[in-house]
Formats: sequence, structure tokens, C-alpha cells
Amino acid sequence: MPPEAFPIEQADRAAVQAAWGRQLLLDGLRTLGTVGAALGVGFLITLLVSPRPFSAYAALLTGPLTSRNRFGNWLEDATSLALLGLALALVFQARQFSLLAEGQLYLGALVAGILALHLPLPSGIHAAVALLGAAAVGFLYGLIPGALKAYLNASELVSSLMLNVVAQRLYELLLTYWLKPPGAGYTWSDFFPGSAILARLIPGTRVNVALLIALGLALLTWLLLYRTSFGYALRMVGANPEFARYAGIPTRRIVLFAMALGGIPAALAGAHLALGIHQRLILSISTGLGFEGIVVALLARNNPALVPFAALLYSYLRVGGDIMERTAAVGSDLVRMIQGIIILFLTAEALAAWAQRRLASRRSTHVGA
Amino acid sequence: MSELDVLQAILSAAFLAGILRVTTPILLPALGGLISELAGVINIALEGTMLVAAFTGVVVSAYTGSPWLGLLAAMLASLLFAFLLAFFHLNLKTDLILTGLALNLLASSGTIFLLFTLTGDKGSSSRLASLTLPALDVPALASVPVLGPILNGHNLIVYLAFGLVPLVWILIYRTPYGMHLRAAGAHPEAAASAGLNVRRIRYSALLLSGLLAGLGGVYMGMGYLQLFQRDMTAGRGFIALAAVFMGRRHPVGTMLAALLFGVAEALANQLGNLRIPPQWVQMIPYLATVLALAIYAGVQQRRTTQRATRFPGGPAT
Repeated sequence: MPPEAFPIEQADRAAVQAAWGRQLLLDGLRTLGTVGAALGVGFLITLLVSPRPFSAYAALLTGPLTSRNRFGNWLEDATSLALLGLALALVFQARQFSLLAEGQLYLGALVAGILALHLPLPSGIHAAVALLGAAAVGFLYGLIPGALKAYLNASELVSSLMLNVVAQRLYELLLTYWLKPPGAGYTWSDFFPGSAILARLIPGTRVNVALLIALGLALLTWLLLYRTSFGYALRMVGANPEFARYAGIPTRRIVLFAMALGGIPAALAGAHLALGIHQRLILSISTGLGFEGIVVALLARNNPALVPFAALLYSYLRVGGDIMERTAAVGSDLVRMIQGIIILFLTAEALAAWAQRRLASRRSTHVGA
Repeated sequence: MSELDVLQAILSAAFLAGILRVTTPILLPALGGLISELAGVINIALEGTMLVAAFTGVVVSAYTGSPWLGLLAAMLASLLFAFLLAFFHLNLKTDLILTGLALNLLASSGTIFLLFTLTGDKGSSSRLASLTLPALDVPALASVPVLGPILNGHNLIVYLAFGLVPLVWILIYRTPYGMHLRAAGAHPEAAASAGLNVRRIRYSALLLSGLLAGLGGVYMGMGYLQLFQRDMTAGRGFIALAAVFMGRRHPVGTMLAALLFGVAEALANQLGNLRIPPQWVQMIPYLATVLALAIYAGVQQRRTTQRATRFPGGPAT
């Protein structure tokens, strides 16, 4: 920025910044309104099925704050969801519909687990090496649908859905036939050695350093997208691929790397579950968490800086739903319904735009009157 | 169980007949997915449509005592569900994939929710006395050597599924509607400038795909099994989508791909006895789909580049 700007430039800049702030505020209000509306629908449904709808819904809305354990669950879940939300935000910003996060999560957990069990390293670097291994495999796995899309124009949606199943089966295969202690009647690995376990942050909970990693990655991803030429090119490919191509941007390489880079946080989410939460590998380590990341990315409008907040908001509902489940039996399903409604509302841009137009026209008639 | 026993089991008529049974709930949504994919609107909500239809069919048949009313209600429910997808995408301009995923979530959670409300059970509808659609037993078919025991005695919908393959082929390649459908998918702008109502075509394609997926769902709850279980479709809607791409977006190819998935599923069940990890077999169709997708896309791309170089001034897709 030049030290002395002309007054007209300063005014321009201020106007742009004000417009930015207004848009951010408007987006935020719209998101909160959407979540509120979805929660309202959820309450109506609760009225229909629960004999004590108010206490059941209160459990959903206040549950995560009622004990240290539940508070811990909230932050643990938010950590996984923030990492997955970052993965999807990156991919969505390039307007790629790769849903590979689930598969990358499984491979990340698998590689982190193998390195934790079979690589004798001193504490201090053991966990770091396991995390790096997970990040690397997430990146590499993302190259597959990325290359298929970039160089062959093969649908990344279909290939990523297929590769998700492949990754999950591979995980089950290696866990069942290799990592599980021989002769054991259960399908778990042994506990990891202490050197590979992620240090816990809050006593009495499973909240661990992965939370800080997620926050750091959110910042890094934001910097990558909004403060580097690669990020600029990526967003341009997402906004208008034709234009990006004419502007001389190597769109293929951007598409390839968007999907690969998205694999890093997704795989780290798997490593977080393995090294931080369960401290061993268990059979169904993710039950569709990769898809939950979609709603987080959408809530954050694909902005990495907003992803941690969206993750906190959404995991709050998820943990609340689990607590409500104890009194109303259908809490977690209710939260999944609310999630579906949120996605529908958030994607109904035409609906929102229509509401905005209505508001604007009302305001202008006010001014005119 | 020895290798020989397993080999015998695989070559038995019961095993081959079983392949037809496990293929049916993949083939029906795949045919639906094919129609909407050709119209340029990929239907991610096949999975949810199947669940909604299975649930409706089971519940209505239990309460009315008529499997036919169950079938009818399930068809209406899947039409309504597909209409939601079409309305959100085509009228409110929502993203098709995200809307589909949202509807899948609503279908999965909503059916569990209603199941619990009706029966007090979140797992299955075993407390409801639901019915199945009848099986067809043709004595003349049963007496055919070798093929008879494989082909005879299946549920009505199994025959319907395979019978629909040539019908869908005729619809796509031998009717004006099929021509319009493919035009709307291949080049919507060109189709619109030729006077076609692309939105209406896509509406009808999504509704048709919902109907076919719904039929697959009905089979799950009123043929394959005789009850509804939470998330009983277990990803078949997505496998169906894979079959469309693996079958190179052609009805016969789609059927062959669906059969391959069926064989893999049936084999995986048998190989468990041989201490070959079933996961290997379960992985193969998915890897094959990725491979087929890559080869198909590569060939398509070479064709368009060749076309573009042949007509230098012409538009390259």
C-alpha cells in the first residue's frame, strides 16, 4: 500500500471496506436466520413426537454446557468438523465437487495408526511424524480424483464417492487382518504407545492439541486463499473457469492441487480421531463425518476463517442431539433432519436473494415516502 | 468349508438366482440415474428416494393389508420426493448435488423418526405386519433345464427391473422424448434455442428417475426383505450411480455394470468362508468404476479435441 493515497483513493478504499463489512454482516445474519429457522422446524417436529417437548429441546440447546465431559465432547467434535470443513471449503472454493474427505479421513487414521504402532520413535517427534504421514497420504489420495478431473475431465463427484468406499474397505481390511492383535475377538488395534499420542489440553476431557492444529490450519488456509497468487487463481477458477483460462491461469494444475491440498486437513481429522480421541484404531472410526464437513463448509460460506465458528455451532447441535437422545430417543436423528433443512435453506440462494430484494424494495419505498 | 464346497456353492443355481436378487435394487435406481444423467441432471438423491419408497411401501401395506396399495403409495411418495429435488434445483436454483445430499439426510433421518413414532422402535419395522409383493412361479419356466431354477420364482419386481432395460433403451434411443432428453443433457443451450423446454424435460427426467429408484426401494422392503430397516439401502443409490458411469451411460452397459456389482456382493458373501478377506472383492467394483470412468472420460475428451481441430472455427464444448 503506498504511504500517501489520494483522498479519492482513500474514499474508494473505505467504500469497498464498508461494502465488505456490510456483506459479511448480511451473510452472518442470513446464516444465523437459517439455523434459527431450521431449529424452529426441529422444535415443531419435537412437539409432535415427544411427551415433554420443552425439556427435550432444552437438552438439545443447553446440553453441551451442562458438564465438563459434555463440554469436552463439544470441543472434540468441533476439532474434527473444523478440519473436515476446511477440507471441503478449499475444494468448494475451486468449485470442485470432490467428496473425498471421508476416504481421506480413513486413510489418514490408518497411516497415523500404522506409524504409531510400528515405528519406534522417541516422544516429541513420534506424534509429529504420524501426523505428517497422515497429511501426506491425504494429499496423495486427493491427487487421484484431481488428476482424473484435471486431465481427463472425469467427474470428481463419482470418482471421489467410489474412492471413499475403497479407502474404507482398505482400512477395514488392514485393521482386521493385520493391525488387530492376533486371536482377539474384537476389531480394534492395540493402544498406541504414549509417544504417539496427541497431548491433551483440558484434564478430564479428550480435547487435545489437534484443536490448536485445526485453528492454525484455518489461518493458514485463509492466508493461502486470500493472500497468495495460488489462492487468487484457485478462487478465480471457482468463480469463472473460462475466464481463468483466458487469463492464462493453469486451471488444470489448480484443480489438481485444490483436491490434493483439501486432503491434508481431512486426513488430519482422521489422525485426530486415532491419535487424540480413541488412542487406537477402531472399526468404524467415522460414521459419515466427511459428509458432516459439507454443512460446516456451507455454514462458513467456504471461508476458512469462519470454518472454526461454523464447526463450533454445528458440533454444539450434534452433541446436544446426543444428549437429547437420552430423554427423547430421537435426538441424533432430529439433528440430522435439522442439518438437511439447513443445507436446503442455505443453498436456496434464490430464496435468500428474493427476500433481500423484498427488503431492499421496502427500504427504498420508506426512503421515498 | 473347503475350496471345493465354495466353488460348488458359487456354481449352484441358488447362487446365480441370488445374483439376480441382489442386482435388482441396484439396477432399478441405476436406470433412473441413467435417465436423469442423460438429461444433464445427476440425481444424488436416489439413495434417499429408495429409503422413502421402502418405508412408505412397508408401512402402507401393513396398515391397509394390501401390498398393491403399499406399492402405489410408495410410487407416489418417491414422485413427491423427486419433485422436491426438481423444484429446489430447477425453480429455486439450488445446487443439485448439495440438495440431493440434503434430501438423502432428510430421508434417512425422517424415516427413522417416523418409524419410531409409529412403532416405538428405531431399528426396524418388525412390529408391523407388512406384506411383500408376490413372486412369479411359472411352471413352464421352472421346467426349463439349467435356466429354470435360476430364472423362476423371483419377486415380481425382479422381472420388472430386467424387463425395463429394453424399455428404457427404446425410450432413450427410439422416441422423440429420448432425443429431447439427450439434447437437454448434451447441450442445454442448443436444445433451448431449438425450441425445447429444457426445464420441463429435466423435471420429467428427475421424476422418472425417482419413480424407478422408488421401485428399487419397494423391492428392498417388500421383496428382498419383508420389513423396513433404518438405512436399509446401505449405499445402493450411490452404487447405482456408479453403475451408470461404469456402463458408459447406456442402458445395457448400466445393466451389465449393475450385474457386476451384484456378482461382487454375492461373491463377497461366499468368500468369507474361504478366509479370503471379503473386503478385496467388495473393493473391486469401485476400483473398476474409477477405471471405467477414467477410460470413458479420456476417450470422450480425445473425441472433442479431434472435433475441435477438424472444425477450427467451431465451438469446442
